Amino acid sequence: MFVPETLEQSRTQSRAWEEDFRQLAAKLRIEPTQSESHSGLPIKPAYFPHDLEDIPFADIGAPGQYPFTRGNLAAQYQLMNWANQPVIGYGLPEQTRQRMDALAAQGMIGYQGRHFYNLVYDLVSHEGLDPDHPASRGRVGQCGMAVYSVRDMERLFKDLDLTRINVVHITYYQVIPALAQYIAYAERRGVRPVDLRGNSMNWYHQAAYVGMSAFPAHQGLKLAVALVRYCAQHMPRWNTTNFFGYGVEEAGGTAIQEIGLMLAFGIELIRACHSAGIEPEVALERFGFQIAQANDFFEEICKIRALRQIWAKTMHERFGANKPAALQVRIHTHTSGACLTAQQPLVNLIRTTLHAFGAAIAGTQAMEVSSYDEALSIPTEEAATLALRVQQVIQEETNVTRVSDPLAGSYYVEALTAQIAKAAMQVAASIELQGGYISAQQSGFIRREVEGSAARWRDLVQTGARRLVGVNCYTTSTPDPVPIFKVDPEVERLAIERLVELRRTRDTNRFTQAMLRLRDAATDFARRQVDDLRDDQLMLAAIDAARAEATTGEMMGVLKSALGWGAPHEF
Amino acid sequence: MSSEASWTRVVNARIRVLLAKPTQDCHDRGVRYLATKFRDAGFEVIFLNFLLPSEVVNAAVQEDVQVIGISSSSGGHLAVFADVIAGLKEMDGRLLIGGGVIPVEDQQTLQQMGVRAIFGPGASAEEAVAFVKRWATAQAAPNVVVTE
Repeated sequence: MFVPETLEQSRTQSRAWEEDFRQLAAKLRIEPTQSESHSGLPIKPAYFPHDLEDIPFADIGAPGQYPFTRGNLAAQYQLMNWANQPVIGYGLPEQTRQRMDALAAQGMIGYQGRHFYNLVYDLVSHEGLDPDHPASRGRVGQCGMAVYSVRDMERLFKDLDLTRINVVHITYYQVIPALAQYIAYAERRGVRPVDLRGNSMNWYHQAAYVGMSAFPAHQGLKLAVALVRYCAQHMPRWNTTNFFGYGVEEAGGTAIQEIGLMLAFGIELIRACHSAGIEPEVALERFGFQIAQANDFFEEICKIRALRQIWAKTMHERFGANKPAALQVRIHTHTSGACLTAQQPLVNLIRTTLHAFGAAIAGTQAMEVSSYDEALSIPTEEAATLALRVQQVIQEETNVTRVSDPLAGSYYVEALTAQIAKAAMQVAASIELQGGYISAQQSGFIRREVEGSAARWRDLVQTGARRLVGVNCYTTSTPDPVPIFKVDPEVERLAIERLVELRRTRDTNRFTQAMLRLRDAATDFARRQVDDLRDDQLMLAAIDAARAEATTGEMMGVLKSALGWGAPHEF
Repeated sequence: MSSEASWTRVVNARIRVLLAKPTQDCHDRGVRYLATKFRDAGFEVIFLNFLLPSEVVNAAVQEDVQVIGISSSSGGHLAVFADVIAGLKEMDGRLLIGGGVIPVEDQQTLQQMGVRAIFGPGASAEEAVAFVKRWATAQAAPNVVVTE
């Protein structure tokens, strides 16, 4: 990128700087130590043009040009700002709807005036249970909405124009039943699947680093492929898969592990889709990412730039994808919840602002900013509104949205982007050497790697080497009381009452037939190899079960017994 | 010999701990870190992801643990602790502790129910290790021999 003369001057200047730095340190009697990024990459106190000597300009390029290091589109936010996508979901569907409407009234907006609703299901649904199961006690409507059936969908979306909204269904492994409920509900409203917009999570891969019960890894991969396949046929505008990098970082993984593991899983999933007869470009166009934005300000920015680059290069070079939409990394930023503290909770507003600001200048497509009370409870409406305001202040007041990839060309940012890209490629390569993501999931390798990072981080906090304001420095003894949100205890009773009513009034014959069909489809599905997934029977049977008013828990019961279910890792 | 060293030699290997996390609750980073720290301290640790509280009770009895730690970060903790305490009926000198995200007013309720300590956000693993050691010392249970 630089002419030899510049590089020569750069080296000369850098030597002079180094000497100055040494003298200053000697004067202050400080022995300089090697600095590291939070991922453990060595970083220098200052960067120079010659630090970029080995980076071809083609790796940086232009916004909207391959390899998309500088952003997906020629215009980053100038023509279309990032979408506000706060996570919403608690209590009964009507209560979640009230929060959706309240945030929409506060200006929460997606692209081109469409409303985006980022909806999370409750713990009961995540576990694939019904609210009257003994293990559901105390968990109905907690950390998500108590939505279990097509009737609950009606309570949630009543009177909203389904063709004008985007709905993100944040599920764990109940991906297929939850989408089936939405499709069946849309059908009742006269809306065809092809006209629905939104996202499924398809998050089976998170069982590699998250401890909840799950389907066996190889069955999870097939389920992911099944959804991609169904959507390619019936819902071409539906975003099928969300690469859950956020979960890696929240579980303690580094920025490098976060994007390296997502690349490794991307390779695995594309390979599986291809063997099931789905062209890589078709699958890739509907993939998205949920990426964390955590405390190391520049590393987190460079992580985003590096991810765009290594993903595009890998999918192009390895799988022959060419269409820009198939190579671009569409990012939903989730500011890190794990970085937030229960101590001095209002300080979290400062942290989330820095996280959101970093994501903004890294280039993101959508954002959820964690609420300041994240470490204490489900957000209050006030906290959720303030989190939305963080986005709005950055969007409206700072002028940072005027210029695409404003940090491009910074010696530090370009050098660190290249460093992270290289390290993440090594993570992906090491997984490939073990036979791919699923093998590394089954062997426990991924879990061990992520937990190793979590333990190192915690040890650093413990010794004070990693400073956390209010936790290991600047602590106070007086608690700052903030309002705590509590789910109304009546929610559980009402959800069970509704379930009883559903079972009493639904057409039993119709329900039984649909469940038998689902059982047969699931049994057949369980036996097949990924290259033999030649039809959409499982998804179609699930939609039929949803039409017959089966609950998500009932459908999951069938899937669990056919496919297997259990703890993903032994300790 | 320092008292710390004698602890390590004589006592720790005999403290058996069950650490349990509801399977619905994905926030297991803290409790799994604690498990490694308990092991580093010489405790024997059994880790359990459970669906029903009765699984915690069964594991505690079968594995004959002296300490039960339940981590909860997504609500539902009152029901779980109540069922575990009821299931164990006589606690038989077992120590029950909790951790995770548990609101202050619930912490008081839990302590009244017999949960001896709650290690919430910001608590250090070292505090938890020290607490268990102190408890074992005070307990002076027949199978825990304290020598200084």
